[in-house]
Amino acid sequence: MKELDLLKKDWKKNENSFQQVSENDIYKMIHKNSSSVVRLIMIIGIIEFLFWIGISLFSNNDEYFQKLNMDNILLYMRILTYAHYAIIVTFIYLFYKNYIVISTTDSTKILMKNILKTRRTVNIYVWYNLGMIIFSLILGFMLAYFYNPDFALVKEKIEHDGIKAILFFIGIVIAIVGVFTVISWLFYKLLYGFLMKKLYKNYEELKKIDL
Amino acid sequence: MSQDLEKSFVKQLKENQNIIHKICRLYTSGDDAHNDLFQEITIQLWKAYPKFRGDSKFTTWAYRVALNTAITLYRKSTRSISTMEFDNTKHFIKQEDYNYEEEEQIKLMYKAVYQLNDIEKALIFMYLEDKDYEEISETLGISEVNARVKMNRIKGKLKKILNP
Repeated sequence: MKELDLLKKDWKKNENSFQQVSENDIYKMIHKNSSSVVRLIMIIGIIEFLFWIGISLFSNNDEYFQKLNMDNILLYMRILTYAHYAIIVTFIYLFYKNYIVISTTDSTKILMKNILKTRRTVNIYVWYNLGMIIFSLILGFMLAYFYNPDFALVKEKIEHDGIKAILFFIGIVIAIVGVFTVISWLFYKLLYGFLMKKLYKNYEELKKIDL
Repeated sequence: MSQDLEKSFVKQLKENQNIIHKICRLYTSGDDAHNDLFQEITIQLWKAYPKFRGDSKFTTWAYRVALNTAITLYRKSTRSISTMEFDNTKHFIKQEDYNYEEEEQIKLMYKAVYQLNDIEKALIFMYLEDKDYEEISETLGISEVNARVKMNRIKGKLKKILNP
């Protein structure tokens, strides 16, 4: 086929006419997987969120509060829950934004900056969640203490034994909160710590290129 | 991954980058799409690199991975045939040996090739790269006979596009 030979001739002639990519550019390209780490962070954040929503759907809090005769508190609890959801959604949005930015930047400098930013966002997210766990556990105990009839025995004991019983009760609460916090902390440390490490490694590599 | 592995990969890729550029030229139109595919292929090559043990030439291996990426991963890209491609061919023709008729024919030929599907493009690419059927069949994972048959069909198709 005559035209095909013509094409081949032209093809060969222009073999070396491409704008060449430098070694630096190639390094940058193969470290683009920062964007996939950030995507993973976003996906895990969403799964976690859905998990908690699922749990709250299955556990019937309303009944518990009604049993305690606390319809007025129910409203506050709802507001608190929705505020919490809103904050989590905001975090997921931030993760998403980081992902978009990281997957579209070409400049090493900006990429490095965004990796640090993502790390910071994840750190704040983890601390917020831990804080929320501690807060809701303590709140739960306080509500139970003041309103749950099952706690009447504890109250009686406190009235009878005074300061000693109070300290004992507080000690138990601290122990339970502590155990939950440590477990959650380990969970986050494992999950996000691993991703953070990967991100940081990329960051270090990029630093080498950007001398 | 070790530093040495990375170093040798970057060096080899830099030396052989024209392979990828040429594939990008055949599969994309416009600089952005070209650079996107180039990056995608680079990432895929890097991912596959630990498995490349040097039992084939780097270039042969790169042809295979790069074409696979272009064919499978890049399917999502739009298939629109824009006039950009037409203009693209312009600066590929050097002034010194300007031959109007030839230039027109080459332009039409590029246009025709852009209308082929991804696999057909891969075969044309191998043909333009002067690969024999043995290498074509090895790279694309089809039998030699099949490659020959396909190539003949593509030629027919191109003729039809050129002279409708």
